[in-house]
Amino acid sequence: MTRASALAALAALASAGAAEAQSVRFVACPIYRDTDAGRKSGCWLADEAASGIRYDVSRSPTQPDWNFEILIEGEPADEPDTACGGRVLHPVRVSVLPGACTRHMLPAEGHPGRRFVLPPRNVRPLSEARPPLEGPATTRTFHILFDFNRAFLVYQLSDYLFDQAITYIRSADPRRIVVTGHAATRPTLVSGRELAEDPAIAEARASLIREALVRMGVPEDRIVVRTRTEADIVAAEGADGLAEPSRRRVDILVEVAGTQEQARRPGGGAPSRPAGQ
Amino acid sequence: MRPFSSFVLAAAALLCGGSVAASVGEEYGWWGPGQEGSFPAVADYPNAEGTLRTLLVGAPVETADHPFFAPIGPSGRACITCHQPSDAMGLSVETIRRRWEETAGRDPLFAAVDGSNCPILPQDRRESHSLLLDHGLIRIQRPWPPRDGADRPVDPDFDIEVVRDPWGCNSGSEYGLRARQPSISVYRRPRPVANLKYLTAVGFAYDPKQGLPLPRDPETGELISGNLMADGRAGTLHGQIRDAAPTHLEFFDEMSREQRLRIIDFETRIFTAQYRHRIGGRLDDFGAQGGPDVLARSEPGQLGSIGRAVWSEFEAWENIPADAPISAEERAFKQSVARGARTFRERTFLITDSAGINSPIGFGNPVRNSCVFCHNMTMMGNDVAPGQVDLGTTNLPFADPAPHLPLFRITCRRDPHPHYGRVILTHDPGYALTTGRCADVGKITLQSMRGLSARAPYFANGSATDLRAVVDYYDRRYDIRYTEQEKQDLVNLMSVL
Repeated sequence: MTRASALAALAALASAGAAEAQSVRFVACPIYRDTDAGRKSGCWLADEAASGIRYDVSRSPTQPDWNFEILIEGEPADEPDTACGGRVLHPVRVSVLPGACTRHMLPAEGHPGRRFVLPPRNVRPLSEARPPLEGPATTRTFHILFDFNRAFLVYQLSDYLFDQAITYIRSADPRRIVVTGHAATRPTLVSGRELAEDPAIAEARASLIREALVRMGVPEDRIVVRTRTEADIVAAEGADGLAEPSRRRVDILVEVAGTQEQARRPGGGAPSRPAGQ
Repeated sequence: MRPFSSFVLAAAALLCGGSVAASVGEEYGWWGPGQEGSFPAVADYPNAEGTLRTLLVGAPVETADHPFFAPIGPSGRACITCHQPSDAMGLSVETIRRRWEETAGRDPLFAAVDGSNCPILPQDRRESHSLLLDHGLIRIQRPWPPRDGADRPVDPDFDIEVVRDPWGCNSGSEYGLRARQPSISVYRRPRPVANLKYLTAVGFAYDPKQGLPLPRDPETGELISGNLMADGRAGTLHGQIRDAAPTHLEFFDEMSREQRLRIIDFETRIFTAQYRHRIGGRLDDFGAQGGPDVLARSEPGQLGSIGRAVWSEFEAWENIPADAPISAEERAFKQSVARGARTFRERTFLITDSAGINSPIGFGNPVRNSCVFCHNMTMMGNDVAPGQVDLGTTNLPFADPAPHLPLFRITCRRDPHPHYGRVILTHDPGYALTTGRCADVGKITLQSMRGLSARAPYFANGSATDLRAVVDYYDRRYDIRYTEQEKQDLVNLMSVL
């Protein structure tokens, strides 16, 4: 990534409401608080060792597993901590790490939790028609995001993003689709340890998206697969302004004959450089 | 038990334009291979809880020389052998025992190939067929190393060893891992061949449990539901027939496409459900919509949480008018069923350490939800997504003691299993025998919940002898702490599906 494009991406993140300086990123063992406000209403908490602050990470698309460490990346939200008993992170991303944890469950202790609400990023049934493409098809890039060191479509996040991409591809009839798998391999210090993704995860992600495209009917001979390590930051719709999660992605560049890459990206973000170039 | 109501059957057939041959159906409803006649458009079969009704929609089916009914292999077996109309197109252990008694064990149902605990055992002894007679289990022989749903070899990420082999079919020289053609024998209940439009329905394009879009049928290009077989080894009805013919029927010739299409035509027009209850009476009165008719008419593949709620067919029984002309006993039963449906949907509990739910999707471990979290398809109670889930019914320590079943030790070569660790003890690796992944050990595809009263025992390994045992298993497994009333309501609900 060039310095200029990195600055552009960060500027886009800031303009999208991300206050990078306020973000938190730490590793902890999750704590489950068994609030009972119906299905999926339990709370997930995590204590940041450096600050001693207990955070409410329940709004992550991926929820923790109480047997394993989690990587938390999020922005403190301006809302009370009454629901679960922790400072609310929103947006927030949780990635399950391999390190073992001791299970810990708290009772509700008067916290009501949150009633489950279907998140806006949910894939609709096949019986519901997708909205038709507005205007002529142009070359566009879609960013599919992943959890740390995982190559798995995150439910109600990356499956939704992929569904947007495939809907567009079906309308656009592209001449070529370039799938670029990224891995955030540059080590960063988090909670006193260096974290870096396995370089092989870039290929695993790219292969997964290639397979997903084929399963959704894209001819194999139109797909080009590339990989890239030391992934850069982009303004990806699914990252909700969070910088580090935006590195863990696959870019689907949908090349439409005779068009330039569209200036406006899905979700309203600023243009990103075509992947893998 | 099980007197075959030829009068009801004949009357119903007349009403629906069908016909009933005099030879169709023996005294208790057994439909034997090669038995000729016109399959009834409507047939009622008594069972311990009431009456099951089977509907055949569309054109009549003549069973003579029909590949579903004809014994096309040398054993005398046919598809109908293990998919009996009286048993909701499955097979109850009660029917199995009755066939044993009436034929002195000579019915083709007890064929050595899979109707005995192992073909190497003396076939004239009851104990050689104890898994079928006592637990309703058919032997399923899977290749090792595994082969996937397209019959391609899979390089597994785990090793498998035999810990216990009570019948010699996993560690002998003829069958098992040391045989010339290595194999794993597991033992499973026959799945009902009815209401199949629900099991083949595709509600969404994605499988959240695999983090991928659904695979496609290479023959038709259509998305595959992933809900047909316990271990997902065949994704389509054509694939299921190709799998079953040489194994269960010992028919080694290639079944023609025309034959397969005739079987599928029949299978996809059969609907079945409990129709009456011995206490609750009709299941479609006072606004309820029990019975198979609504199944035949409804759109499959709907997710209950965003459409018609699961088991809302019985919601009207929550408010039966006070002056309704029914007995107090019938009213109480119907109200219990309605409560059971609500308990099924709304009584939440913590679901823990169940692959396919708590991993790898990201729902969290634990996650608070109810029965309907997985049993989420409207009208049918199977999973709208491919339903491969590990409830623990086959994996230790959650599985009930089963000294009659083999036990395998699985050692994961790469990543450990997210909930069991590196080593897993299992009676049946389930879906892992198709995918070759240790993360899939013990995953068994959810199935239809219809016609349960006609086809005990339950769970793929027959470990629940009755519906109460099903509820009790879940209660233990997830520490739900159902009240006695909730348990009885759930049992009553399941008894009328």
